Amino acid sequence: MNNGIDTSPRWSRAARGAALPLVLLVTWQVWALSLPTGSPAPAPLRVLKAAVELITTGGLLDALAQSLGRVLIGFAAALVLGIVLGVLMGSSRAVRDNLDPIVESFRPIAPMAILPIAILWFGTGTPSALAIVTYAAFFPVLVNTVHGVTRVDRKLVLAAQTMGVSRLSILIRVVLPGALPSIVLGSRLAMGVAWTAIIAAELAVGAKSGGGGSGGIGQMMFVFYAYSIDLNAIVVCMIMVGVVALLIDRLFRWLEPRLIPWKQ
Amino acid sequence: MTDPTAQPKLRLHNVTKTFTAPRTGQQTLAVADINLDIQAGEFICIVGPSGCGKSTVLNMIAGLDRPSSGSIEKDGTPITGPGADRGVMFQDYALMPWQTAQDNVGFGLRHGTPGQPFTPAEREARINHFVDLVGLKGAEKKYPHQLSGGMRQRVALARLLANGPDILLMDEPLGALDAQTRLILQIELLRIWGETAARTQRKTAIFITHDIDEAVFLADRVVVMSSHPGRVRAVLDIDLPRPRSESIRTHPRFGQLAEEIWELIRDEAYRAISGSTDTAPTPPETATRTATTS
Repeated sequence: MNNGIDTSPRWSRAARGAALPLVLLVTWQVWALSLPTGSPAPAPLRVLKAAVELITTGGLLDALAQSLGRVLIGFAAALVLGIVLGVLMGSSRAVRDNLDPIVESFRPIAPMAILPIAILWFGTGTPSALAIVTYAAFFPVLVNTVHGVTRVDRKLVLAAQTMGVSRLSILIRVVLPGALPSIVLGSRLAMGVAWTAIIAAELAVGAKSGGGGSGGIGQMMFVFYAYSIDLNAIVVCMIMVGVVALLIDRLFRWLEPRLIPWKQ
Repeated sequence: MTDPTAQPKLRLHNVTKTFTAPRTGQQTLAVADINLDIQAGEFICIVGPSGCGKSTVLNMIAGLDRPSSGSIEKDGTPITGPGADRGVMFQDYALMPWQTAQDNVGFGLRHGTPGQPFTPAEREARINHFVDLVGLKGAEKKYPHQLSGGMRQRVALARLLANGPDILLMDEPLGALDAQTRLILQIELLRIWGETAARTQRKTAIFITHDIDEAVFLADRVVVMSSHPGRVRAVLDIDLPRPRSESIRTHPRFGQLAEEIWELIRDEAYRAISGSTDTAPTPPETATRTATTS
């Protein structure tokens, strides 16, 4: 077993990982060929054809870009809010004691649960979607920032004090970098839930506005579901959502050692 | 020695520190009635068994802890908090893990008050100077976790010196080093402290160690503490000539002084080992003075 360490070359492992999905795809395709022509059931080749159509003329990439743009803006807002508030809460007992009950009572409320209010306040366009994404991404950032800040080695703060470093500088130069590994972890989680939330929000907003309004990949899926019942297109959207989620995760894995090079 | 009427650099007057346990509220007397005058330019070593409150005394001088009663004055002014005039070298170095060796050396200069008198270019030159001085060249771009214990200690020492403090407070700074490196750094430390310079040019140094030989080698005076609670048991003048070199260790007076200090802490050291306060085994007379207290 090599103690669980796989020493075989990369391509060989990749081939092993791809074997089962390939078998399933082929089985699925063979089964689909037995269906009567004109059946709406999705099949690999039909999905592929739908994907090509959607990408070339169907505006799939535009919709993805729109969703991704919303996620990035909402994520950025959550990052700023979560880090600022997290550092304050983490470094001041008084702030923490005051804000903790509010944070903890909102945190269990799922992003989708605030959708009705978001739509009432912000309508069915981008502002609503941004509100949902920001709300969803905010808590992982906040909670992990607070955790990271409270766990910064106290000796380091003391050392900075003996070097005549001001309180504000200590927050920026010691507390923030000390909490950074935790903040990065929180950001990765936040980005994951933000992407999940935007799809759901666009689907729901799309439903509310009767297929118009919001735009984005979620709304596109809703249109295929409600108006053309195009299962192949829906599967294409699902795959794209998954691919983007995977890419986001990979991006963070790539970024992590670069953001926190002192961690191994 | 020094003019006894001159104002001491540091004056500890009846310093007592009690710690209160956070939950139980139980009080522990850490140090009691410490009285000590330290003159400018003196090198003081504090030795004593573990738990004698050596670090507590150092922290109070650093301003990181307040005495429960009594006072600590620097140049006649009470110490109210930490400041860059009193540099600390912590036992576990307290290096910023996210900064390279060089950035750690420059931390105070770049972000704290010690950098104020310098232009940015002068700061960088000063950082390089101290990186060189402690022998960190070639390792300056490494992170602390990539450095050995000895190298980390050099970083901490360079950082302490780069900040140019008036008083050097060092908590077992050479404790984690192998014997050879330790001997080399002791001589380095004396050189940097200003052993060859006039007394007025020297910094004031307070150095905690549990190594008696190290204390005798470095100090002008050795403060011997006893534990439970920490008290000053004796203060010994180390009347060995300066500058000191390796050969001083074979000086008969060196052995006498080390023996004297060992006599003072031997009983407590044995008690600490046996873990009992009343049935301490009689220490064998052959116990060597090179034994340490913790």
